[in-house]
Parts: sequence; structure tokens; C-alpha cells
Amino acid sequence: MKLSTFLVNLAFHLEGSQKYKKIKLFFKNLLENDDYKYKKYFDYFMIFLILSSVAIIIEEVKTPINKWLYYYDIYFVTGIFLVEYLLRMWVYNDSRKIIIEEFENSIFLEKEFDTKKVLKEIIKKKIEYVTSPLAIIDLLAILPSYRELRILRVFVLFRVFKLLRYSQNITHFLQVLASKKLELFTLLLLVTFVVLISGISIYVFEEQQNPNISTLFDAFYWSLVTISTVGYGDITPQTKEGRAITLIIILTGIGLISFATSIIVSAFNEKMDEVKENRIIQNINKLNNFYIICGYTHMAELLANRLKREKKFFIILDIKKEKIEKALSKGYLAITADATKKEAFKRIDFKRVKAVVTLTEKDMHNIFICLNVRSFSKDVFLISRTIDKNSYKKLKLAGADYLISPYETAGIFGAKIIEQPIAIEAINDILTAKKNALCDQVEVLKGSFLENRRVGEIDLGKYKLILLGVIRVKEEDFSINLKKEFFFNPRADFKLKANDILIIMGYNISINNFKTLVTESSIKNARKKR
Amino acid sequence: MLEKKDKVLLFGYGKYGEQIAKELLYNNYEVYIAEYNKRNLKRAKIDGFEHIMVVDIENDDELTNLLLDNGFRKIFCAFDNEEENIYLTITFKAIFKKIDIIAICESKETERKLKLAGADKVIDTMEAAANRIFFILEKQAVTEAIDHILFKDPSLAFKEIKIPPNSFLDGVNIKDAKLKSRFDIIVIGIVDKELGNKFTFITKGVSHKLDAGDILVVIGKKESIDRFEKELYNSSQNYTNQG
Repeated sequence: MKLSTFLVNLAFHLEGSQKYKKIKLFFKNLLENDDYKYKKYFDYFMIFLILSSVAIIIEEVKTPINKWLYYYDIYFVTGIFLVEYLLRMWVYNDSRKIIIEEFENSIFLEKEFDTKKVLKEIIKKKIEYVTSPLAIIDLLAILPSYRELRILRVFVLFRVFKLLRYSQNITHFLQVLASKKLELFTLLLLVTFVVLISGISIYVFEEQQNPNISTLFDAFYWSLVTISTVGYGDITPQTKEGRAITLIIILTGIGLISFATSIIVSAFNEKMDEVKENRIIQNINKLNNFYIICGYTHMAELLANRLKREKKFFIILDIKKEKIEKALSKGYLAITADATKKEAFKRIDFKRVKAVVTLTEKDMHNIFICLNVRSFSKDVFLISRTIDKNSYKKLKLAGADYLISPYETAGIFGAKIIEQPIAIEAINDILTAKKNALCDQVEVLKGSFLENRRVGEIDLGKYKLILLGVIRVKEEDFSINLKKEFFFNPRADFKLKANDILIIMGYNISINNFKTLVTESSIKNARKKR
Repeated sequence: MLEKKDKVLLFGYGKYGEQIAKELLYNNYEVYIAEYNKRNLKRAKIDGFEHIMVVDIENDDELTNLLLDNGFRKIFCAFDNEEENIYLTITFKAIFKKIDIIAICESKETERKLKLAGADKVIDTMEAAANRIFFILEKQAVTEAIDHILFKDPSLAFKEIKIPPNSFLDGVNIKDAKLKSRFDIIVIGIVDKELGNKFTFITKGVSHKLDAGDILVVIGKKESIDRFEKELYNSSQNYTNQG
């Protein structure tokens, strides 16, 4: 069989194999995906290996070590490092895709399949991996196990470097520095230049006079020590010319140091927000059932306060940085993002989102956000604020499940408050959960003591509760919008069914107590049946 | 035909004013709209309100005359601008003592100022809306129930009922009154004179002795409440007649 046909067959075979893809995806996640559940454990394991092997090598410097420890270091640790290295190389890219693409091109263009080109492409990709800084560190970290070459021990340092891979903080730090590559490179050039000039000149002036400067290396060493303002003083200039040069490079040194500091500080200033936001998104994606609030308006702030009071989780998005800072200062999870753009929700797992609330002060923005959210999730519960009546329809079309308008609420409350000020105040107290008085819902659980009982038989007064009514889902209706019926103040002979919802009023403690009783009785009953 | 209820003077026909005006009209109030913004006035006219007045809210004489001519007892300050509401409230409270002022605000800060200015009732719209969202998110059934009682079912009502002297509730402990079985109404709270003029929820567990002058807050079918009220007054009347 020709090599080319073999390659093509193999590529298509792999492309068609679900198992292969699954395994590759697993390793890719394990090695590269920070959001993957098990990556954490893998990282801990690797960190342990590194630390133990470093400890062994350090111990070995002075005393001969136990045979088993030696084997552990040589075979086990190195073996795993090697396997990891190869796995990383494997998951770096999909070589089969290169082959398939070339094959399809060759058929399309009616050319011959170019094996050489394909192999070259594959090797190029893999070399690209091998020459990446982290891969070089990985490779060097494998070397110290080869004890015959003592110089290789130095590479134990690379094992420590390897720790970088497994700690996000350090990776972030490096990313921050990488963003200032150009500036740092300029700085390095500048330092090299100054060290060269001053080193050479001190060498020229003092090589004869100064016993401490005998080689050019000594001169460079002195020059760097002086520039960096470390100034050990083991080599000091002896001649007038030398001292003159020293004066100049001390001044330059101060300039260079402050330049370096400013580069790093500004890099952090610029990148810190991004790093923080990454953190926040990672945190929020770990939660189940959280809310997304778009637009940190006054209303959003009030909602956030309430949600926090009830110990619910939520994340706030706003396009303006000041707003986000305000939210952050209150201890809320918040990120600066334009919720009308796709990027804002790209990293959010909508399966874990309980509901999205859009509360910006412009209908147009709310509509865009609704559309944007709907493009990610068809069925997440979506509440939107509306300002203009004309927008009701548009927002509904954009996918909002529920609309809320402070103006309308004000209108309704306003009309009622004239007639029944105390009643409205009472309701307001209940809604704001002031005074510990609450209105709450209790589901009639299957098997609980509430099921199939008549309302008259349950003495809610005993639990210090008032029954306002019962909500029953109409069974015959299977449409998406479940028809719910509200029975106000049901009569004593009203029979409760499973899945009915009792609307009760009372104080916090009584409600919680009652809820616990209902749940417990349901669980007990379920056990009995078993 | 339902009779018209009280006259209400509504300041402002902006976003808030419009909703409140319509809602008041729906509840059979006689609504008078006062506004200085021409565009808003025009809208009010288009929306079909009969009593529309142009006012300058900084002219005290004009405001005084407006009030005296029509004999308003209740004033709604519902400008979209919070400061104007505060200003109006303080103006009216400075001129008239016996007047009910209800004002709209959007923040705790303004609410505090309005209360200081003397507003009798303050509606914090943002707070109300935010809480509503919370209930929709967390307790949908409760939202539905409250909506049903307050807005959807016209046969249900909240009512505050003052206990007349010597009625059958005067001197009775609330637990023994058995209002639920006798009249099919739910008592949710009480303003007890003995415990200071504060609203307490009935479920607190304190057994209240009812006295004349206490206010009961009840929910129920309108006819049940009417029956209850009638009987309450009758019993009071009977006592007086006998005495």
C-alpha cells in the first residue's frame, strides 16, 4: 500500500471514529481547558510530582538517596512528564484534518495527492508546538533525570518553571507581561546598549590600573551591577575617567529602573480588570441557578440588594465601567460588557442561568439584549423593563417572558393607595419583606400530610399562618403556558391535590417551620412506601 | 352606573402621571390634572381627560386658588422629576394643614426628603418594581395571587374597617371573633390603638383585644365585606338605640 493511501485512509478512519474524538477531547480538556471540572485535580497531581522530584534532586546533592526514591524520580515522574509532553503535542492540533483537507483539494482540483506537502505541514505544526516557550520548558524539565550528565541538574529549575503551567495566577502574571512585549524588548535593548558601552569604556580605562578588572566579562559584570543600582562594591572604579563613567551610568540606571517599573505597573493596570473579569466569570460558572442582571441602574441596584439579602446568586453586566465599579464595591459579581453584543454571553453557561433580567433605561437597549439572550438560549426565563407602552409588543416579540414597568406599578399602586392606604402599606411590607412578615408559596408535595386533605382539616392557625388562597394548575391543559387557577380563600371542604400551591402569609419562622414539616412528611411517606 | 368617588388633583402628566391618571379614572375617581409642560398637557387632552389645568408650580397664589376653588382634599404629586414633587409637597404643606399628599419618588433619598416635607404617603416606584421582579423570579405563585387579589378579580377587595364603638367586635379578642367562618373574610392585620398606631400582622401571635377605633385590614369578596361592615354598624347602632 502506498503511503498516501494509508494516510488518507487513516485520517478518514479517525475522523469517523467517535471514540477517538472523545478520547482526544478528554485529554484536550484535561490539559488545556481551565473550565473543565477535572483539570484542577490533574494540576494538583502534577504540582505534587514536581515538588517531590525537586525535593529529591536537592536532597541528592549532599547525601545518596534511597533506591526507591531514585526509581520514583527516574521512571515514574519522568515517565509521566514524558507522557504529558507527548499528549500535549498530540492535542495541539488535528493532523488528520490537514490530510483530509489536502485530499479534498486534490480531488477538487484533480491533482495528485501531495504526500510530501502534507507531511511537511504536519511536521511544521508540531514543530510550532515544540518551539513554544512552555513546551521548551516541559522538555527541559524531563532532562534532569539523566544523571550521568551533571550539568543537566541545572534543569531542575525548569521543573520549577513547569509549575507555571498549573497555577493560573502565575499564568495570568505572564500574560500581563506578555502584553508589554514591545516595551520590555525596548528596555532590554537599551540595557544591553548601556552595559556594552560602559563595560567597554571601563575596560579600556581601567584594565591596567584596576586589579579587579582583568577581563571584559568583569567589566560587563560591574556595569550591570552599577546600572541596576545594586552596587555590590566588589569592583570599584579607580581612575578619574572610570569614576566619570560611573556617574553617568548611575544616572542612566535610575532612569532605566523607573522605566521598567512603569512598564510593569501600567501593564497590570491595563490587564488587571481583564484578569479580574476572568476570575468572576469562572466563579459564576461554578454556580448553579444564578441570575444575570443587565444594566446596573437604580432599579437593578435595588433588585441586587434584595437578591443578596435572600442569598441568591447573580451577576451584573453593564457597559459603563463606573457602574461596574460601584457594583463591585458593594461586593457583587459584576463585569463590564455590552450585553447587546454576542461576546458578553459567550462564556456564560446558560444551562445554569435561572433567569435574565434586563433593566437598562432605554427600551431599545432592552430589546437588543432580549434578542441577544434569545440567540443563546431559547428557554431561559427573561424579564425586561419597559419604558414606553409602544415597546410592549416589540419586547414580547424579542422574546421577553415578563415585562415590568415602574410607571405602571406606580399607577396601580397610586390608585389603590388613595382608597386603601393601610392595605397597600401592608402589601408593601410583605413584598419588601420588612418586619419579617412574608407571603410565601408552599407546594403540596406528593405524600405530604397536605395531600388529599380538606382545607378545613388543616388548622393553619395552629402554625400561625393565614391561607390566602390556592393555585391549581389545570391538568387538562398541556400547552406551554400552563393555565393556573387561583382559588381565593377556599372553603373548608376544598380538597387539596398534589402540585397545588398554597399561598400563605405569616412570619418568617412560622413559614419556614411549616415548609419543613411539609417536606419532612413527604419524605417520610415516600420511605414508607418503599 | 357607579358613582364618582372623590376628586383627586394630580400634578404632572409625564410617564408616571399618565399611568396614575388612567388608573384613577378606571377606579372612578374624578381626576383633575395640573401640569406646566405643554407637550404633556396636549397628551392629556388627547387621552380624553376633562379637567386639565395649566399651572405654574412656583406661583403660590395660583396654587392656593386652585385648591380653594375646587376643594381638593387629596393631592398626587407625580412629576417625573423628583425635585418638583418635593417642592410641591413642601409648598402645599406650608399653606394647608389638612390635606393628603401622596408623592412619587425613585429613591430612598427622595423618599426621606418627601417624608420630611410632610408627604402622607410616598411611593418608591423603583423599590416596588425591583421587589416585583424579585417575586416574579423567586415566588411566582405569590405574585400571581397578589395580582389576582389586587387587580385581576374585581370582586375581591382589600378593605380597612374601623371598629365602631359598642359593635359586636368591641372588646372581643380577635381569636374569638371567627370572622373567617362567619363572614368568609380574611383578616390580615390590625392597627391597634393600644399598641400604638402601628400596623401589625395578625399572625404575630399576639392576641389582640379589639376596641372601638381599631382598624382591621381584611381581604374578601366585596359582598362578604359589605355584609360584615353592615352587620358591624348595625350592632353598633342597635346598642346606641337600646341605650
